Amino acid sequence: MVKECKVKLKSSDDKIFEVDYAVAIQSQILNNTLGHTGCTDSALPLHNVSSQILAKVIDYCEYHVNASSTISEKDVKMWDQEFVKHLDQATLLDLLMAAQYLGIHNLQELTCQTVADRIKDKRPEDIREIFNIQNDLTPEEEEEIRCENEWAFEEEVSP
Amino acid sequence: MDESPKKELAVRRNTSSHLHRKEETPSWHLGAPVDIFFRSSPCRIVVVNAQELDHPIIYVNLIFEQVTGYRADEVLGRNCRFLQYQGSFAKTRYPLVDIRILTEICRCLSEGFDFEGERLNFRKGGSPLMNRLYIKPICNDEGIITHFLGVQSFKEANFDLSPLRGLVWKKSSGAIHTHILGDMYSQKPLFVHRDCSFKKCCPLYKVSDEVLVVNILARLTPRDVTSLGSVCHRFYNLTKDESLWKLVCQNIWGQETFSILESVARRRRLWWGKIVRELTTLEAAAWRKLTVGGSVEPSCINFSVCAVGSKVVLFGGEGVNMQPVNDTFVLDLNEDCPEWTHINVNSAPPGRWGHTLSGLSDSRLVVFGGCGRNGLLNDAFVLDLDEPQPTWREVSCSTRPLPRSWHSSCILDGTKLIVSGGCTDSGALLSDTFLLDLTMEKPVWKEINVSWRPPSRLGHTLSVLGNHKILMYGGLATSGPLRLRSSDVYIMDLSEEETRWKYVTGSMLPGGVSTCNSAPPPRLDHAAVSLPGGRVVVFGGSIAGSRLETKVYILDPMEEKPTWRILYVQGRQPKYASGHSTCLVGGTRVVVLGGHHTEDWMLTELHELCLINLKGTD
Repeated sequence: MVKECKVKLKSSDDKIFEVDYAVAIQSQILNNTLGHTGCTDSALPLHNVSSQILAKVIDYCEYHVNASSTISEKDVKMWDQEFVKHLDQATLLDLLMAAQYLGIHNLQELTCQTVADRIKDKRPEDIREIFNIQNDLTPEEEEEIRCENEWAFEEEVSP
Repeated sequence: MDESPKKELAVRRNTSSHLHRKEETPSWHLGAPVDIFFRSSPCRIVVVNAQELDHPIIYVNLIFEQVTGYRADEVLGRNCRFLQYQGSFAKTRYPLVDIRILTEICRCLSEGFDFEGERLNFRKGGSPLMNRLYIKPICNDEGIITHFLGVQSFKEANFDLSPLRGLVWKKSSGAIHTHILGDMYSQKPLFVHRDCSFKKCCPLYKVSDEVLVVNILARLTPRDVTSLGSVCHRFYNLTKDESLWKLVCQNIWGQETFSILESVARRRRLWWGKIVRELTTLEAAAWRKLTVGGSVEPSCINFSVCAVGSKVVLFGGEGVNMQPVNDTFVLDLNEDCPEWTHINVNSAPPGRWGHTLSGLSDSRLVVFGGCGRNGLLNDAFVLDLDEPQPTWREVSCSTRPLPRSWHSSCILDGTKLIVSGGCTDSGALLSDTFLLDLTMEKPVWKEINVSWRPPSRLGHTLSVLGNHKILMYGGLATSGPLRLRSSDVYIMDLSEEETRWKYVTGSMLPGGVSTCNSAPPPRLDHAAVSLPGGRVVVFGGSIAGSRLETKVYILDPMEEKPTWRILYVQGRQPKYASGHSTCLVGGTRVVVLGGHHTEDWMLTELHELCLINLKGTD
C-alpha cells in the first residue's frame, strides 16, 4: 500500500517542510514514527536539524526516491558526487550528523566516505587547515608524536 | 509531618516565560535535606499532582527547562517518566535506567514516605544526566497527599555506554547500525544559526568519538589514520584505542585476514596498533631459525607443503632411489615443542613429486598432479584434517587437465583450486589455466579461456590477491626455441566478464635485463607469498649463474606503476628456498623447509620469515 499523503517536517529553527510520504520514509526514524502515528497534520519536529541542512536532506531523498527504478547506477553515483563535491566542511559534517540522526543509510555512507576522502593522503598540517582544527599540541608533544608516527610518512618500505 | 516553619519557594521567573499553574499555590513544609539541596547547586523543581491519574506535572522551574532542554509547555500534564527515555522518539526507557530505583520511588510514593536517591535521566537531545532526586509528599490539612515535590540536582553522567558499544563495532557486509548510532548522536546539541562562534570552531569536533571512529576513521588506511592522529590531542587519543585498529584491519584487509590475525593477537597478546603498523611497513620482518622435533622419514626431496591454520602439512616427495612417496606429515607450530607427526590416513593418493598441495578453508587441503611411479598425474585428492580418521578422497571428474608436474596452483576464496602451466610427459611446457570449484557436489574442471596467454612455463608461482585476482610470476618460460628464466609478472581478474592476463612488470623478453635496479633477477622455483593488502613478497629460487639469491623483494600491484622494491630483513636467511616447500602460517610467518642445498634431510631445522614481531606483552 503506497501512501499518498504529505508529511510535514519542522526544522530546529521552526521552518516547515512538506514532503511526500515516500520521500520521508527513507529516514528510518521517520519511518518508525509514521508507522506508529500514521500520516498526521501536525509537523514532526526535528530538533537537531536546521532548515538549511533539512533542505539538502530533502533534496537528496527526493532524488533517490525516483532514482532506484529509473536512473542507472552510474548516473546516480555521479549525481551523488556532484551533491557533495562543493560542500564546505561544516555543511558536510552537519549533513553527516543529520543523516545519522534521521537514519538515512545511503546519505550517511556518502557523507562519511566524502569526509574520509578529504582526509586521505594528507599530512597532519593539511588536515588541520582543511578542517580548521586548532593545534593544541605543545612543540615537545608534536615532536614526540612525529617521531612515533614517522613510519606513516615514509615513501619506501625499507628503513 | 515536621514542624519546621513554612518556607515559600523562592523562584524567580521572567514574566515572559512559560510559567503555568493549574492549582493555587500550595503551602510547602520543607525539611532539612531539601534545604541542603537548595543551597548546594542549582536545582530542578518539579511538582506533580498526586490526586490525578498518572501524576501529571503541574509545575517546573526555569532550571529544569535549562538543564533538560524540555520547555514547560512540552512537559506539563505528562508523567515524569519521559526523562528516562533517551531522545524524543524513544518509546521505552533506556535499558541502563535502574528499575530497582523506580520500584523504590513507587513504593515511597504510595506509602507517603520521602524518597532520596540517584537516577539516570536524559536531556531532550539524548545526552545522559545523573539525577540526585529528592521526592517529598505534600499533604493538605486533612493529611491527604495532594502533591509530590521533586527536587533534583544533577551532574553529568559519565556512565559507560559500552553495552551498546559492543554492537557498534560489528560491521556486517558494510552496514552500519544507524539506530544505535542515532542514540549516541548529539551529545552536544547542534546549534547552527543561534551560536555565532560555531563558524570559528572545527566542524569535525561536533562529531562524537563513536561516529568518528566507526564511520570515518575505519575507512582510512593505517597511514591516513596515523596522519590524523598527529593533528591534535583528541585524535591522538582516538588512535590509542585498539578497537579502531581492529576496524581498520577488517576494512582494508578483509574478514579472513582479520580472523587469522585475531587468533595470533589473542594468543600472543599483541597490540593491534602495532600489528597493523608492522604489516604495513614490514619493519619488523626478520628471519628466524626454528628447531623442531620428530622427523620426516623416509626422507625425501621435492615434497610439497601447505599451511592449515597453525599447522604445516607435508605430502609426497621423491625418496631414496628416486621413488615417489605418499606419506602425510603434520607439524603444529602452536605447540610449545612442535614436532613432525606422521598421519595415518585412509586411502593415501599414489606417491608423487613435483605436485602442488594447497590449503582450502575449514582445515582441508587438496593435492594435484605431479610425477608418479608410472608417469605424470592429473588427479586431485582432498583431505580433511579435522576428521577423526583423516581420509584422502579423490575428486572424481569426467574431464581433467593434461597430466603435469612443476605447475603452480593457488586457492581462490578458500574453495576454488586454480592450476596453471607446468611440464607434460613429452617435456612440452604448458600455458593453460584451469579452475576446479570444490564447493560443487560434482566438481568440474573448467579451462579459463583467454585471448592471449603468457609464454608457457614451469616452476613459476601463482599468488592470490584479495578475493578474485591471481598474480603469476617468474618460472622457466618458453622463448622461441629456448627456455629462459623469466622475471615477468601477470595479473588476471577473475571477476571480469572477459578474463585476460595483464602484463604488469618485468622485462618483455624472458631472461632479459630489467631496467630497474631493485628488480629481482629472473628465476624459477622461488617462493612467493601474498601479504594483506594485495602485496606480494618473493625470495629464493634458482637464478642464472648459480648464484645464491639472498634478497627478499616486494611488489604492490595496486600501485599506478608497480615497482619491485628490496625488503630489508634482519637475521640470516636460508641459503635456498623453493616454492613448493614454503607456506604462510597464521598470516604472519613464512615457513621454509628443505631445499636443494640442505643436508637436513630430516627437516628438523626450519627457517621462517616472521613478518611481524611476535613477542607480545607477556
